Amino acid sequence: MIGIVVVSHSRALAKAAVELAGEMVPAEGRPAIAIAAGLDDVTLGTDAQAIADAIVGVDSPDGVAVLTDLGSAILSSEMALELVGPEIAGRVTLAPAPIVEGLVAAVVTASTGADLATVVREANAGLAAKIDHLGADSGAAAGPGAVASPTTALPALETEIEITNEHGLHARPAANLVAGLRGLDAQIQLTNKAKNKGPVPATSLAGVTTLGLRQGDTLSARITGPDAAVALAKLQQLAADGFGELDATVPIAEADGEIAEQAQTGRQIAVGPAHHFSTAVDTSAYQPGSPATERTRLTQAIGQVLARLHHQAEQPGEHSAVFAAQAILLEDPELTATLNSGVAEGHSAVEIVEQDFAALAAELAALDDPYLRERAQDIRSLARQITAELTGISFDLANLEGILIIDELDPLTATSLNPDRCLGVVTCTGGATGHGVMIAAARGIPVVTGQADAKDLPNNTVVGLDPVQGRLWVNPTMADLAELDKLSLERRNEATLASELCQQPAVTRTGRRILVEANISSLTDAKTAAANGADGSGLVRTEVLFADWNHAPTAEEQAAVFLKIAQGLDGKMITVRTWDPGGDKPLTFLPQDPEANPMLGERGIRAMRRLPELFQEQLKAVALASRRTPVRVMFPMISDVEEVTWAADQLKQALAGVKGHVAMGIMIETPAAALRAADFAPLVDFISIGTNDLIQYTMAADRGNGAVAHLAQGAKAAVWDLIGVAAGAFAGRPVGVCGDLASQPDLTPRLIGLGVTELSVRPPLVGLVKLAVRTRA
Amino acid sequence: MALDLAAAARWTARFAALIEENKQYLIDLDAQIGDADHGANLDRGMKKVMELDVTGFASPGDYLKKVGMTLVSTVGGASGPLYGTFFLRLGAAWPEEGDAAGLGAALRAGLEGIQARGKAVVGDKTMVDALAPAVDAYDAAAGSGTGPALAAAAAACAAGRDATIPLVARKGRASYLGERSAGHQDPGATSVTLLLDAAAETLG
Repeated sequence: MIGIVVVSHSRALAKAAVELAGEMVPAEGRPAIAIAAGLDDVTLGTDAQAIADAIVGVDSPDGVAVLTDLGSAILSSEMALELVGPEIAGRVTLAPAPIVEGLVAAVVTASTGADLATVVREANAGLAAKIDHLGADSGAAAGPGAVASPTTALPALETEIEITNEHGLHARPAANLVAGLRGLDAQIQLTNKAKNKGPVPATSLAGVTTLGLRQGDTLSARITGPDAAVALAKLQQLAADGFGELDATVPIAEADGEIAEQAQTGRQIAVGPAHHFSTAVDTSAYQPGSPATERTRLTQAIGQVLARLHHQAEQPGEHSAVFAAQAILLEDPELTATLNSGVAEGHSAVEIVEQDFAALAAELAALDDPYLRERAQDIRSLARQITAELTGISFDLANLEGILIIDELDPLTATSLNPDRCLGVVTCTGGATGHGVMIAAARGIPVVTGQADAKDLPNNTVVGLDPVQGRLWVNPTMADLAELDKLSLERRNEATLASELCQQPAVTRTGRRILVEANISSLTDAKTAAANGADGSGLVRTEVLFADWNHAPTAEEQAAVFLKIAQGLDGKMITVRTWDPGGDKPLTFLPQDPEANPMLGERGIRAMRRLPELFQEQLKAVALASRRTPVRVMFPMISDVEEVTWAADQLKQALAGVKGHVAMGIMIETPAAALRAADFAPLVDFISIGTNDLIQYTMAADRGNGAVAHLAQGAKAAVWDLIGVAAGAFAGRPVGVCGDLASQPDLTPRLIGLGVTELSVRPPLVGLVKLAVRTRA
Repeated sequence: MALDLAAAARWTARFAALIEENKQYLIDLDAQIGDADHGANLDRGMKKVMELDVTGFASPGDYLKKVGMTLVSTVGGASGPLYGTFFLRLGAAWPEEGDAAGLGAALRAGLEGIQARGKAVVGDKTMVDALAPAVDAYDAAAGSGTGPALAAAAAACAAGRDATIPLVARKGRASYLGERSAGHQDPGATSVTLLLDAAAETLG
């Protein structure tokens, strides 16, 4: 067994260090340890002669490891080697290890009978655990005292991995990587070789995310520390597993996945206590304490948020991964270290959270990758949760029970609500057709919009709401409650009836067959639609289906997805709308310059004029799919006849290479197309009226803008007139409506009265609209 | 003057006296950029050296080596092994003939010992900044004899000592201070200048 000499300026320090290390190993198993420390019991200093004597005292053929503290201890030890002579000096190693950590490691390792080199290596790695724990950037590895960084004493393991994930290492696979490598005693530095970004520690999700790793990029890893080999193996295993995404090779958007056939329609009556909620946390009244207090508060607040996130991550459902990823973001040791040091510098916990998270969000928002940009939302959401916790404001949106009162319902909030707990939503401003409102409705949460008076309702006021009439009852009387009960029963009966008869064709009382189809954005939509009796799809939103792709899908890839959707709809007719980018729907693989007025810019077919190859590829996909399943194609954002002749020519080319028949239609979304629909009649087989855009362009009112939403809400006479003109021009041929008007059963009779023959609606509402066709038209 | 045992003993005695005289000064210098022990450590070591019975040594070389070992075991701080090495090497290379060139060679051996031990070079703000130019100056003037050469060495040593003031320390405890070490005179360079002063006074 090797011998160990402890050299220190202080005899007391050396004795205490030996005592500490001795606790690790029973006395009989311990190596010989000698102390050469201090000039006497109280005088600080080192003595080369005493060190030489100590070395000789524990010397054996196995050798001696000398651990020293600083300064003259090193000089004196080197001198001692000269004093003991070359024979003994030849088997003595002066270890650069930290004296306390190194001695513990040395004593433990030596007691196993390990050789001198092993003991010294373990001693030198003594700081690794501390560096790993406190984070690689804690200063431990970079300070002036780290000239002999213990980790550099070990050979680093290196590997390179090509990223095969379709969307690169976005949040979920990045979180899997961080979680998979957590808890190992190893320092793992990751670099994106392709983009020359990094290195970042693998313990930091934020760091890994900022590498911007995309498909085809090379991830290079440099691993040191005792568990380096384990870490390397784990990393390779994670990579082989596609960082948990191996099955996710079919990138069809599974959004709104929780819409099951039994889901609420969002039309039900809701009665419950009101709860106000603001997405902005008011921190003005926050009273900062001492740095120590602030640190405690911060730690507790983060702990609370984490506990909630972990709880939510354990719940079944599509969103659990989002919460898990948020938790990992928040557990990032680097982030915590930055926050803590900010507090130590005298900032309040609220200040430092707002400041640091805003900076991190800005960093992510500036990245090229839309997936990574979305993480900025997570960061902002985390900042709100922590500041809410710090200021004592309840922010538990997912656990909110009763009726939510909110100024405006944004999509993020709408997706955060738990349909099992949140009975309904009342917005103070904002229209009924905003995206947030549509998401809430799609998730089965009834919404009443534009209730300015609701702003002043005290929390826990009992309110009742009817999303169909857009009515709100505040503190309902017994009579009100009886009315609500009656309405509720009607709605339930309606829903039951709709669902019982949903698979039957929808025929009006006068005997007209109306096709009730579904608007499809995902495979889940197709399944939901089929379960609710859809007569196919009147609108397949290709730009949403493929929004996640970072390369333009080939004709074959698109055709495969179209076929899956058609299968999901039991092989019924699907209507593929060609790429409809622009406005608020950017596509990664379809670059567009920023426009001053995007809604009046290069949308829909207009963008295809610039990118005919992309258009041609999609038309080929439609042609390919048409050989296997009934499919139609339609062109969005038409305003001029010339656009249609061009598109028709393109379709002809695509069909020339493939045998197949495809009916061709256009969307009526502009007043120009509606007014002159007759001009298009000789050119196309059918039309589909996109009422959302038609309303927006007719009324010159942005439906997302609360200030003018009332103009865009419902349909004004001018819009009805335009629908009538367009339908009239296509009398005797298919006339569809795929905008939101089609999803409102109350309007079904009026649309049919104008000559509409197909209604393409939100998937869960198919049965209800069919019922409206049967009973009201 | 012969470089015999008595001369070596005069030198160390004068050095011990100068250290005792400047003990507080050295402590004050060290307090600014180090651990305030340089004066006390050297004084403790040189007092032990003064307890040595000079008559018991066969040669000045043996005596000087014992001085080195005594310093190693009693100084405690970094100056223990550094001064210890200097005297050990100096003693080993002490010229039997007592010629000026031989003393220069012995001084250089001592300097090289310090450099090997401390791994310091000129500019690191250490005793090397004073001792290295001193040894060079000695060699340059050695042709004129031991006395003028030691006088030149002492002058160069003092100049080197003064030149440490603006430097940023790169070795030793003072290096932890980084930029803040600039503006202070290095205590090691100061004490080694006292050593050369003592040599010029007693060996010249």
